[in-house]
Amino acid sequence: MEDAVGPILRMCDDVESVIRAIQDDNPADLEIVDRGAYVRVQRRGFLRVTRGSLERHLGAGFQMSRFESIMSAFAGRIRTSSDEIVWYLQSASISSKENPR
Amino acid sequence: MALMKREEWEDLVRDVDWTLSYADDDAVFPEWQSGTGKIPREAWSAWEESYKISYPEYVSIQAEKEAAAFAVKAALQRSTIFSSLDEGWKSCAKVHFGGVSLAEYTAFMAEARMARFGLAGPWRNMAVLGALDEIRHCQLSLFFAHEFVSKDPQYDWALKAFHTNDWAIVSARSLFDAMMLAGNVVDTAIQLPLVFETGFTNLQFVGLASDALASGDINFANMISSVQTDEARHAQQGGPTLELLMKHDPVRAQWIVDKMFWLSARVFAVLTGPAMDYYTPLDHRKQSYKEFMEEWIIGQFIRTLQDHGLKKPWYWNEFIEGLDIWHHSLHLGVWFWRQTVWWKPQAGVSKAERNWLNTKYPKWEEIYGPIWDQIIANVNCGNMQATRPETVPWLCNACHLPLCTYTSSPDGKYRVRDFPLTHNNYTYHFCSKVCRQIWWEDRDMLHVKTIGERFLAGEIQPRDFPGVLQYMGLTPDVMGDDAYDYKWATDYREPLGPESSHPRPNSIRGRERIPSEALSIPINAKFGNDFVTHVIVVNTSDTMAEVAQKVAYHSVGKRVRPQDRDMVVYYEGRAVANSESVSQVGIGPFQQIFVDYASDSQGGR
Repeated sequence: MEDAVGPILRMCDDVESVIRAIQDDNPADLEIVDRGAYVRVQRRGFLRVTRGSLERHLGAGFQMSRFESIMSAFAGRIRTSSDEIVWYLQSASISSKENPR
Repeated sequence: MALMKREEWEDLVRDVDWTLSYADDDAVFPEWQSGTGKIPREAWSAWEESYKISYPEYVSIQAEKEAAAFAVKAALQRSTIFSSLDEGWKSCAKVHFGGVSLAEYTAFMAEARMARFGLAGPWRNMAVLGALDEIRHCQLSLFFAHEFVSKDPQYDWALKAFHTNDWAIVSARSLFDAMMLAGNVVDTAIQLPLVFETGFTNLQFVGLASDALASGDINFANMISSVQTDEARHAQQGGPTLELLMKHDPVRAQWIVDKMFWLSARVFAVLTGPAMDYYTPLDHRKQSYKEFMEEWIIGQFIRTLQDHGLKKPWYWNEFIEGLDIWHHSLHLGVWFWRQTVWWKPQAGVSKAERNWLNTKYPKWEEIYGPIWDQIIANVNCGNMQATRPETVPWLCNACHLPLCTYTSSPDGKYRVRDFPLTHNNYTYHFCSKVCRQIWWEDRDMLHVKTIGERFLAGEIQPRDFPGVLQYMGLTPDVMGDDAYDYKWATDYREPLGPESSHPRPNSIRGRERIPSEALSIPINAKFGNDFVTHVIVVNTSDTMAEVAQKVAYHSVGKRVRPQDRDMVVYYEGRAVANSESVSQVGIGPFQQIFVDYASDSQGGR
């Protein structure tokens, strides 16, 4: 995928739930690449996951900082907050609505 | 009680800079450590980390990660998994433990320097967490390896390796010292968090984890992927630092990235390449090393660099060509000089494995097939002496790896070349033009003597191959041997064909006694299309015919098919008459010659 961005999740119990949460937040054009010990969840130019989606799939009270323990790496740039994590490329050819520049 | 969101209070704690009044700013943040260069001092207030985390969050998450890593270790400790692991796979883990454990401690020092001398408060905070991360990684690696020391003393090199002068460690130490310790902290932030941790460590800690899991080493896979979750966070120190550099000094930014990218790629070619393409059991290989490089480095990392406004490195074509070459040559070297490593290299060239290599690397058979055929013939003849070295390879003055890089020629053939540079009446040798250029520009940072230079300077005694092994700290209980006790060679018990089953001819002579009136000098010599150049000691009175014999001794019948033909010595690109002596030709110490069979010669290369 060109301009792929997104987390690379490590093997753990929560992987499937996290993927479902990301799917909720990015219903279109999401690609999942499963290599056993790691799973790439990626989308062109922009991808986000919100605390709301993660709480739906992993339980209430999920703290966004916990996402770190299941993310071995990521593609693109990252921006973290208490409510969402965003992966993006500034120079990707995507809509200005999505690009957080 | 509901907690306030981090965003509501973090600005109070993340930026703890204040205007100094009791001390000069220059004294607290000296340029040689802080390295702001063309970036104005006030510009650092714009430094903002993209991956934000508070200290309470950090402690909580790290405790959770530690508990998870140790829970898996504890659960598997009583299992029989270790005894069922493939010997080739165990070598992957041994390379990792020896090559990485104490490098993590060096990374701690780099983080601690950034935590002290970084010119932005938020950066220093982030580096403090990075320093704690690296201590965790060092301790994890040492502790996980320690469990196996009683079963296999090679695991003891997790702690020991960086305290030795093993050639692989000299190479790694040279890189890590330049990357993490020798420069100012701005250079360090680009070299370590950005280039090494955002790019290359993913390959070893995440890519290799998939091979580990497939090979059944759940504990190792769990450990290294846990480590990399820390890296994904603290590697983000590189981005904001790069943004400031790109704004105020883009030339410096591009140079630092280009330099460290190349040197990192060279070391990963020996650290990770053989592990993925030769040591991991064939059935468990997820992708080839080249495919992992394409996924993680070319597809992912380079795109991120471009997003910051950087260009591809100037040597891009050489790097891409090297993905088909470097790690195959280095693997061949590691296997042939297997006594010099603390693991058991798996040859990885059974017929099935060779088919896989040829599928993944279409040039493999043409370049490496004939060399392995000669080795296989020697193994199957029981001529094990011919499968072992009696001298040392010539090592590159920049990356400290053997001069064994094939590059393409205008006629389409691949040849190993030497790239020399004479400076202050001393000739340095490099594996590539790029290593030579990096060394020339940054020679103050990279000026470590190679093992070969130490050997020739008399620092290694006795001055022979056993002396080299002793200097490297290798004892018989840990020095490497073939992982499968050469059983893979039985695949080839049927004759390989007349061209590869020639025994080593008696006409190839070893070192001769040096006449007292002659001066003994070391030269850098390569025979035919062998994959590596060697340190060869010749006498100034030797004729070229005698020199050819001495050079051939270390290649012909070992890795080069013997032929019943005359040999020719080439010096400075021209053939030299067999009757001329070393002194008559003017060959001096440390200079390079090339020897080949008469009709195969290529005018010096």
